[in-house]
Parts: sequence; structure tokens; C-alpha cells
Amino acid sequence: MNNKLQSIVIDWIPSQSKVVDFGCGDGALLKMLAESKSVTGYGVENDPNKINACIINRVPVIQQDIDAGIQNYRDMGFDVAIMASSIQCLRRPRDAMTNILKVANECVITLPNFGNWELRVGLLKGKMPSSAQLPAKWYETKNLHLCTIADFEELCREESFNIKKRVYLNSRGKSSWLANAFPNLFAAEAVYLIG
Amino acid sequence: MKVVSKKITFKDSLVLQSGQSLPGFELMTETYGELNQEKTNAVLVCHAFSGSHHAAGIKEKEKPGWWDELIGDGKTIDTKNYFVVSINNIGGCHGSSGPTSISPESGQPFGATFPEISVSDWVETQKLLADHLGIKCWEMVAGGSLGGMQALQWAISYPKKINKAAIIAASSKISTQNIALNEVAREMIKKDENFHNGDYLAKGVSPSKGLKAARMLGHITYLSESNMSKRFGRKLQDPQTKMDADVNYEVENYLQYKGEQFAKTFDANSYILMTKAMDGFDPAKDFDHDLVECLKSTQTKLLIASFDSDWLFPKEYGLDMQMSAIKAGIDSSYIELDGDYGHDSFLFYSNQYSAALKNFLNSNE
Repeated sequence: MNNKLQSIVIDWIPSQSKVVDFGCGDGALLKMLAESKSVTGYGVENDPNKINACIINRVPVIQQDIDAGIQNYRDMGFDVAIMASSIQCLRRPRDAMTNILKVANECVITLPNFGNWELRVGLLKGKMPSSAQLPAKWYETKNLHLCTIADFEELCREESFNIKKRVYLNSRGKSSWLANAFPNLFAAEAVYLIG
Repeated sequence: MKVVSKKITFKDSLVLQSGQSLPGFELMTETYGELNQEKTNAVLVCHAFSGSHHAAGIKEKEKPGWWDELIGDGKTIDTKNYFVVSINNIGGCHGSSGPTSISPESGQPFGATFPEISVSDWVETQKLLADHLGIKCWEMVAGGSLGGMQALQWAISYPKKINKAAIIAASSKISTQNIALNEVAREMIKKDENFHNGDYLAKGVSPSKGLKAARMLGHITYLSESNMSKRFGRKLQDPQTKMDADVNYEVENYLQYKGEQFAKTFDANSYILMTKAMDGFDPAKDFDHDLVECLKSTQTKLLIASFDSDWLFPKEYGLDMQMSAIKAGIDSSYIELDGDYGHDSFLFYSNQYSAALKNFLNSNE
């Protein structure tokens, strides 16, 4: 996660809140949240190497396959649930969105924008595009359900997921007037507070 | 690795959870590595049902310790850095006070009169041992199965005296099926003609047939179906090495052998006491059966590990504990490990298992 994105997420999450990070990776975000905002955080991850990194980072982690369901996280008193750059890796992202909003009052979602112009150019050249946000080759990627900002926001409208805040970042991880004016074309990444 | 075996006598009487008391007791201990000057590098390992104080190293004529794959110089629990303490729990039969010890009142072995023991009682004796050794706080208490239950009880009973608890292949209470299996095992022992209501020592006999059968049943529950299939399949036993003329398959012979070996070294009353302690373990009972409330006051960091092939302590039980820990808001992690050996997987080294335990132990503020 780039610094700007990280600082946005940290800014949105209230101090001393109870947070769950689905697809927490090495736990770096939760570690920063614990240090800077005294957050009680738990990561959910299914990759043994990443779980080990969490243990080394002293971040409480639960080994679980998010696709198999996250119903057991309901009624755990979470204030915020985070799903950073992992929604597109799930088998059923729409169900996951519905479920995550039952786990916490608010959720923070970040996603790579497949509509970004650089990716469109890549595709125009007739090859699966790659970028800093989507570096993996087509045969190695964990992404199953890539979408554009327009797609995601359409889903939010259809499913009545209330977007409280949103930030668009360009491919250098910065806010820019271009990315804000035409996010679907110029944003490389979007971050949402939904609740 | 420095290994010291020592029997330690505690002269004060010990009031047990049952209300009964022991007029003093003995603990058989084994330690590995050295305690640092500040006495901050101590790790307590708690044995499972039939284990003993012999957790690591190889003694003459004896098998390697039960956790030898994980404890030693340069191993998961590195004895170059940590002072590892292992004891035989009271009620057992490997040197600590138990049914085969002599009762000071009667001058005879306790036998069936040895009082009922609980997991909390074991934790109390371990706490007295820590006091005796001058250890104010364990860096970690760890154990598998019944040993994991002791680690959990430590976190609940003495949260300030233990930094980390590794609760492996365990649960906050055993399943109904597990109680049922324990009862069948006890029935086998009690119905042995030599049991004499537990007074077999006074009569100079042993209910070894019952004990053997109980162990054979138990042994099946410690392994996984796939492990047994892989290891034995339907291979026939070589007639030259048959334990019993009626044996057909290798697996039968294996169980016969294991059961017989066990019956030679284990005490029947200890078997009953230990399984009863396991059945009765339920720390949430004192908190209106709410494990969340039970865990709320602990500051101990937990690592809960389950094995996917374990059907005696299914992984759902580990995850349940974790969810209670989350609801309680305490620092706790849960991992699900691949293990080929069913419940017994906790005894064996694997990369993922070792890395998790090692990183957990070594992770400090």
C-alpha cells in the first residue's frame, strides 16, 4: 500500500477503535494503526508466509479463507472493517461487500482501477496490461474480478452501499485534479469509506 | 544443551479445586538450557495426557523427549536463548506425586484414594514451581492437547505471570465425542478383573489388559484416517512378528504393540485421573459459561494453533477460542496448520508450525 493511501486510511479510522483487516497481508497497516491511533486490530489472512510476517510484526492474525465466509466476524464489536486491494481477489465480491457491512459499522475499501488510461492503452496494444497497482502477469495474478471505478460505484448504487467518502489517486499515488475530474480514466486507485 | 532432571518436594499442603487436599507433593522436573540472571527467559512446556517431564533430549535407554523435535539448541524453542522447564503433572505416574506414590497417612500407595485433579490444580503446582525457581513471569507457557489447556488456564489464572501462551491442538473444553471416548477407555480399565476398584497395587496386580485396550482405542483417536491408511493400508502382518495369533493386519499388530508397551509403563488410576481432568476442563464455567468474559482480563498474548487432520480436537474448536478472544478484544492469533498425523501432529516439526511458534516466542515489543 502506498504512503498516501495508507495515510488516508489511517486518517479515516477513529482512534481506539476496533478494526478488522480482511486480506491484511504482512499486517503493516494494522501495525501503523496500533502505533498511531491505538487501534485494537485483527488481520485475516490465508497465506502462511504473510501470517508469519504478521506474527513477526506482532499483529494479531487469524488464518481464514475470506471466500469461505466471514459470518463469524459479526457481533464481534468491530467499528471498522478494511478490505485493501483484496476485493478483486475474491470469488464473490458482491457477497463479500454485503457481509463486510454486517461485520462493522463502516468499511474501508481500496481497489485498483482497471479503467485507468494506461491499462486501456495496454489493452489496445492487444496484451493484458500491467501497472504498478497490477504488476502480475495474467497467468500469475490473484485478481479474479477486476473492475473499473465506474463498475464499482455502479454496484454500490445498485446495492445501496452508501459511499461516505472517496479519494482517487493517480498512478504516482497522488491526488490530482485530473484524477478527480475524470477518475475512471485517470485514477489508478480508489479508496472508499462505506457505511 | 544443558539438561537437569530433579525431583522437587513441596512441603505445604495443597488445597485442590475439588476441595480435597494433598499433604505436600513432589514434582518431577526436567529443565533445558539456562535461566538468565534476570530470570526472564523461562518457558514452561506442559505435557499432554500421557506425556511426562521428559520433553527433550535423549536419555540412556529412553526415547527422545515428547517435544524433542521442537526444543533444543538452535531449534524452535531455542535452548541457547531460553530456559525450558518441563514437569510431570501431579496425578501422573512418571515421578511426581500420583496414585502410585505412598500416602503419608496410610503408608500404602494412594491408588484410588489419590484425590481428583483438575487442570487448574496443575497450574497451581506449576506456579509454586515458578516461585521456587524465582521466575516471576514465564516468557511463554506452551503445550499441545491437554498441555494447551494448561497454557490457556495459565493465561486465565495468572495473566501477569505469563507473557505468551501457545495453545496447540487444544480447546477451551473437549467435545462430547471426546468425553464419550474417554468413558469407553475408563470402562475398559474398570472392568478389568485386576482393577479391584483401583486398589490393584495393594493386591500386587495390574489391570494391564484394560489399560492396553484403553490405549489402543486412544491411539486411534490420536491419528488421522489418512495417516493410518498411508502408513498401514491393508497390509498383512508378517506371521513371524505377530503379537497375537489372531492378528491379521499390520495396523492391528501396531495397536497391540503400542497398547502393550503403554500398559507396562502407565498407571491405570493415573489414566482415569488424567482423562477426568481433561473432561472437566471448562474455564468458562466460572464465568456463566461465557469464554469471552473469561478471557477479558488476560493481558497474555495468545497463539492458538489447530491441525487440519485433527478430529479429536477439531480446528473449529481452535477458531471458536480465537473468536472469543477477538470479542474480548485481547491479543490473540489463530493459525491452521497442515499436519499429517491427526491430533498427534502437535508433536512433530513442520516448517510452518515451527516458524509460527518461533516467531511468536521471539516477537517482543
